Amino acid sequence: MIRMKDIRFQYGKKPLFAGLDLEIPKGNIYGLLGMNGAGKTTLLKLFSGQLFPLEGTARVLGYDPVRRSPDMLCDLFHLPEEFLLPRMRADEYLKINAPFYPRFDHEALHRYCNEFGLDLTQKLNELSFGQKKKFLLSFGLASNTSLLILDEPTNGLDIPSKSQFRRTVASAMTEDRTFIISTHQVRDMENLIDPIIIIHEGKVVFHNDMESVSERLVMNLEHMEPHANEVLYSEKVPGGWMTIRERKDDETETQVDLETLFNAVITHSQAFADAMKGGRS
Amino acid sequence: MRLALVLNREVQESKRNLLIYSLTIFLVLLFQEMLAAFLTRMARGDIGDSAYLANFPGFLFLGGFIVTSVFFSDDMFSRIGQHNWLTLPASPLEKFLAKALLTSVAYPLALVALFTLSSVVIELLALLVFGSPFSMFNPFTIPIGQMILHYLATQSIFLLGATYFRKAHFIKTVLALGLLGVLMGIVATIFVRILFAPYISGMFGFNFTFDDRILYQYEGLLTVAEWIGRIVYWFMLPAFCWVTSYLRVKEVQATDAIQ
Repeated sequence: MIRMKDIRFQYGKKPLFAGLDLEIPKGNIYGLLGMNGAGKTTLLKLFSGQLFPLEGTARVLGYDPVRRSPDMLCDLFHLPEEFLLPRMRADEYLKINAPFYPRFDHEALHRYCNEFGLDLTQKLNELSFGQKKKFLLSFGLASNTSLLILDEPTNGLDIPSKSQFRRTVASAMTEDRTFIISTHQVRDMENLIDPIIIIHEGKVVFHNDMESVSERLVMNLEHMEPHANEVLYSEKVPGGWMTIRERKDDETETQVDLETLFNAVITHSQAFADAMKGGRS
Repeated sequence: MRLALVLNREVQESKRNLLIYSLTIFLVLLFQEMLAAFLTRMARGDIGDSAYLANFPGFLFLGGFIVTSVFFSDDMFSRIGQHNWLTLPASPLEKFLAKALLTSVAYPLALVALFTLSSVVIELLALLVFGSPFSMFNPFTIPIGQMILHYLATQSIFLLGATYFRKAHFIKTVLALGLLGVLMGIVATIFVRILFAPYISGMFGFNFTFDDRILYQYEGLLTVAEWIGRIVYWFMLPAFCWVTSYLRVKEVQATDAIQ
């Protein structure tokens, strides 16, 4: 689906990616996590051909994204964090944009819009930011593209809409589709994104599915501060200490807390890479 | 055909602005013609030429150059706006051609149609209100055709400016043209200085009268220069500008966007 090898990219003189390697096979809802400025949006723009790498090779859906070939673009939908919609009604927007996507499903679009409570006869410029986002998300899901790139999709959505977002995305998922969801609001995405990709300091420092994380690591809330040599990671949370240890064979699997995992990987990249050996990282 | 889809998308998205622009042209023509009809009736005579011929070159050239200059702006250089255009499933050539054809070919044709239709409506009004003679805009004249051909050649420069400059496209294109004019003037002066060296003494001492004898002597050279000028103006300049603009569209990326 996506293969990036030895990618180098920089804004001005400051390098952002220096030798980034990433391979994303099809058929999952990938969560792309990273700190502010880690390069999540940049990476997504490299996928959709909006930015060109300075060095390295990239293949997206079998195409070189730099060429922005129509065959690649009609099988890819990218919902950015910020966007502009023309001054027209939603149905007019559909009439001029849907024909570009050969597998566009109008029935599905009406279903998604209905789920989000959107009226297609309304003018797009009169919608709120969240409503616009829900409209574009419905459009992207109905386009039936193999690859959906969603950059901070829950930003601007109200609480019920966030739950609806998770339900709608999960219902639209098929074996042939791949979602890449970039977010720093991991709580919004828990139970939806899997595998997890974490980028930090210009590299992919973590790329594993949740199953292999819970196979190898245990996360617990402990009341006493653990010794540093007993755990891979610990952090003070309300009510005690959240800890991550390597899981022993006889230990039961625990649920993965994404926020703790993210913090742990960012601060101890190498330790987690070693602990997850046998996984993808 | 995908190009037709891109063209339709461009027209639909610009529809509102184009309607406002068309209405402005209609109102300008209506005001001028009605005023002329009123004054003609008061003065019991003819007051100058029709507003159509007086306004057409302005709207064709100045209006067309400004429309061309801003037509790529949001899609190529707006931080938020460029996303839709860059990820639109069409080739860079189709995206470029859609905008280039709309501003170079469709614009003058639509302007001619607008002037013709406006003149029919305005002349009818003038006839009914002031009893003025019905003299509508005639698009089928040689000067109109020539103007459109010159527009096609010169508009390509503004097409290049629209894709090359990231902001203030029109002003920067005009300034660049001014600079180019000065440079070409200097080159031409040096060329003349060398070519007519026997007739020139010192730096500023032009010691000759430019009579038929000299023209006759250099007739061949001047004919060649004229043909080169024609080829450059009608073919090479538009071709260079179109190809360079297309390459710029092909290479534009998110880092070219401004706030």
